[in-house]
Amino acid sequence: MMTCKEVTERASALIDGEVGLWERLQIQLHLAICKGCARFVSQMRVTRMLTETALPPLLPDSTESARIDAILTELRTRPTDG
Amino acid sequence: MPEGRPDETDLVRRLASGERAAFEQVYRQHNASLIRVAAGIVGSRAVAEEMAQDTWVAVLRNISGFEGRSSLAGWIFTILVNRARSRARRDGRMVPLDAGTSDDGLSGAFDGHGHWATPPDLWEEVTPERILAGRDVISHVAAAIDGLPAGQRAVLILRAQEGLDAAEVCAILDLTEGNMRVLLHRARTAVRAALAQLM
Repeated sequence: MMTCKEVTERASALIDGEVGLWERLQIQLHLAICKGCARFVSQMRVTRMLTETALPPLLPDSTESARIDAILTELRTRPTDG
Repeated sequence: MPEGRPDETDLVRRLASGERAAFEQVYRQHNASLIRVAAGIVGSRAVAEEMAQDTWVAVLRNISGFEGRSSLAGWIFTILVNRARSRARRDGRMVPLDAGTSDDGLSGAFDGHGHWATPPDLWEEVTPERILAGRDVISHVAAAIDGLPAGQRAVLILRAQEGLDAAEVCAILDLTEGNMRVLLHRARTAVRAALAQLM
């Protein structure tokens, strides 16, 4: 029987579908009887989903536009590094 | 082109022809991630923004040489990471991106038999509505990602935000696949712990 520590260490691989059949069965058996690990794995799924959600912009839109202009200007004025 | 990767030929052609709209699209899609990854390596948001800017200039100067052996995003991040690492070396910063010896932050959560000493609390507040509507949750996730060590941050952004496949991420960051998976797991565990403070 896997311990809670072992199950949590495999949580990312589990939710990414990267564990083999035998290990998956062992983990599922553990999750069926361990509320703490079931909660942890469920929270890791939520975490994965949230980290895949678009993050807020780092820079204001006007700054982004100004930087795009600056890059294109640099290319026109200094076409090569040399 | 590997199976499953979108065809970027047209976008690359438009970039090479100097089409502003194409550049703006690619820039807006990736610039925040470039800054986040670079900031972990160079240790400064201002320098990271400079690195991102330099990367875009290099991308547009060299786009005609892009052969599609990697995804366009993979190629752009390779340029960024190489530049950021050079800058970090020049500034005397040693930033290993591999997993090293740090743990996943959970070692204190278990008793001597490997069972929960204190099981995780229920996240009662996490409903689909709150996740979708709650910019506070996403801002919290962003802050947690920005607080991760360089390697974890880079792997999480490249995998979760940029959607790059495992092999590309390993090539960009010069990691083994096992190391990359450890970093991804630790990054998610750290973000989960940050979310637990909020819930």
